[in-house]
Amino acid sequence: MISRYRLETLGMRTIVYVFLVLLLVITVIPIWLLVVNATRSTTEIQQGISALPSTHLFENFRILESKGLNMGRGFTNSLFVAAASTVVAVYFGFLTAYGIVIYNFRGRNLFMGFVVLLVLIPMQFSIVGFFHYMSRFGLTDNYAALILPLLASAASVFFAKQYLESVVVQELIDAARIDGASEIGIFHRVMMPLAIPGMATLAIFAFVAAWNNFFNAFILISSIDKYTLPMMVQTLRGDVYRTEYGAIYLGLAITVVPILVMYAFFSRYIISGIAMGAIKE
Amino acid sequence: MRRAKFTTNSYGYLFIAPFIIGFLLFGLYPVYHTLTLSLTNTTMMTRQAEFIGLENFQRLFADDFFMKAVTNSWLIWTLNFLPQIGIALLLAAWFTDVRLKIRATGTWRTLFFLPNLLMPAAVAALFFSLFSYYGPVNQFMVQAGLQSEAVHYLQEVISTRGLVVFIQWWTWFGWTTIIIMAGMTAIPTHLYEAAMVDGASAGQMFRRITLPLLKPILIFVFVTSLVGGMTMFDIPFLLTDGRGSPASSIMTNNILMYLKFSSSKGHIAFASSVGVLVFIMTTACALGFFYLLRDREPKAPAKAEEQLAKISARQGEPA
Repeated sequence: MISRYRLETLGMRTIVYVFLVLLLVITVIPIWLLVVNATRSTTEIQQGISALPSTHLFENFRILESKGLNMGRGFTNSLFVAAASTVVAVYFGFLTAYGIVIYNFRGRNLFMGFVVLLVLIPMQFSIVGFFHYMSRFGLTDNYAALILPLLASAASVFFAKQYLESVVVQELIDAARIDGASEIGIFHRVMMPLAIPGMATLAIFAFVAAWNNFFNAFILISSIDKYTLPMMVQTLRGDVYRTEYGAIYLGLAITVVPILVMYAFFSRYIISGIAMGAIKE
Repeated sequence: MRRAKFTTNSYGYLFIAPFIIGFLLFGLYPVYHTLTLSLTNTTMMTRQAEFIGLENFQRLFADDFFMKAVTNSWLIWTLNFLPQIGIALLLAAWFTDVRLKIRATGTWRTLFFLPNLLMPAAVAALFFSLFSYYGPVNQFMVQAGLQSEAVHYLQEVISTRGLVVFIQWWTWFGWTTIIIMAGMTAIPTHLYEAAMVDGASAGQMFRRITLPLLKPILIFVFVTSLVGGMTMFDIPFLLTDGRGSPASSIMTNNILMYLKFSSSKGHIAFASSVGVLVFIMTTACALGFFYLLRDREPKAPAKAEEQLAKISARQGEPA
């Protein structure tokens, strides 16, 4: 009996591993082809598939730049928008969550329930109204319209609340109060240093979300010198680059590689961060 | 003393004030504005707009394109959600199985999640290149003898739709796996131990303990995925011509909204009504799902314990 049980387990385990490897191949191949093809010349790409990189990275970059697409500019724009969005989302996310966790004010639970509801309603539903209203204030074609809505990022508040509940030490706050610290001072000098790991995790999420955001930028931003990387991808898809495969792949790789590098360093925090956002509710 | 406590707690309002102001200005007002716009005939060209009641909505319901966009969004979402949740449940069950002892579950999860972080716009452009007429997929299929000649994948309805479904699945199955696994590890192990002592099979335990206790997580995954599916834009927009070609087969709700918005006259009132209708439809479905899956009995854990009692009672019967 025991040997049959073992045999079954072994058989099942083999099936599972085969399936996992298959899934892994499907997951990784497109990304691998993207990175490899960014280093291969258009001729090489047309000749066939290769799993190994080639030597045409700089040539591809030259072609990419020569067709009027300023990837460097797009990169800087994206970096600015993503960094500013991250700061706003993380700071105000934790500020709001701190208010909910520490102070037992009237309507607290109602407010928290409302935040949870907001997590589920994305802005896209009302993007047209948002655009029209921003245009009245001359805020279309302005990064402020992309960044300021993150003052009220419900998902950030939700995450920060989950995190703060596990790290808040009431005694520290009381001690700081006795020492005469102001309430906001306690948040800045006592709470924020304690919450750095959680803030860092949230920062990664906020950064990736802002970096990858195409729809809002596409609707709101119109002048070419303000284009962010996802908007440049649209140009890469167009006629100008039609046959320059190497350059196209390189252009796409430029948008993706920073995120891959970041993931290589912080994947542990990202994975546990996702789990934390869902659980405990 | 009591008064002092009251003042400290009211600091909470100051801390949440920026959120509330931000929400009123950039969240609530745009929603209200979208709603009022949808009841007018505003275009980008006109200064004056008239109130026209529900005329936009009547026009939408009579519009084949709107019906097509809604059908497409549902079709693409359903076809990717079912295998996504299925594989996620399977992977999560395997990864947490004490008998199988799968190695390096953390690494597998990390790798499966990778596509989720990539810019959807870039992913769409990547798959456009991979599946183009002279692209690597055609090269591979012809060289391997699986196809006699290159195929215009992105000019066929089935392959184009299939590709959007695949990309959505590829992007999200890792995320769903992580969430479901987190839910599974939160289930107290004593429930399984008790079931095992009573001789329950793996299948029985999955159906009677895991699934019922996973319900809140499954609802969360369902609702977030549904909202994402109904507002899908980047992938179908950038995979073909930005109009949902071929034959409008991947024209989703948001692509239609964008097409109305960017039309030569800028029919923003009409575009708003698309957003409003999609919002109502999505919310109604999410609420309906909540209602269907509501707890008929007081608490999920209690229910599982009860199920467990049933199993053990049944196992005991024949003896």
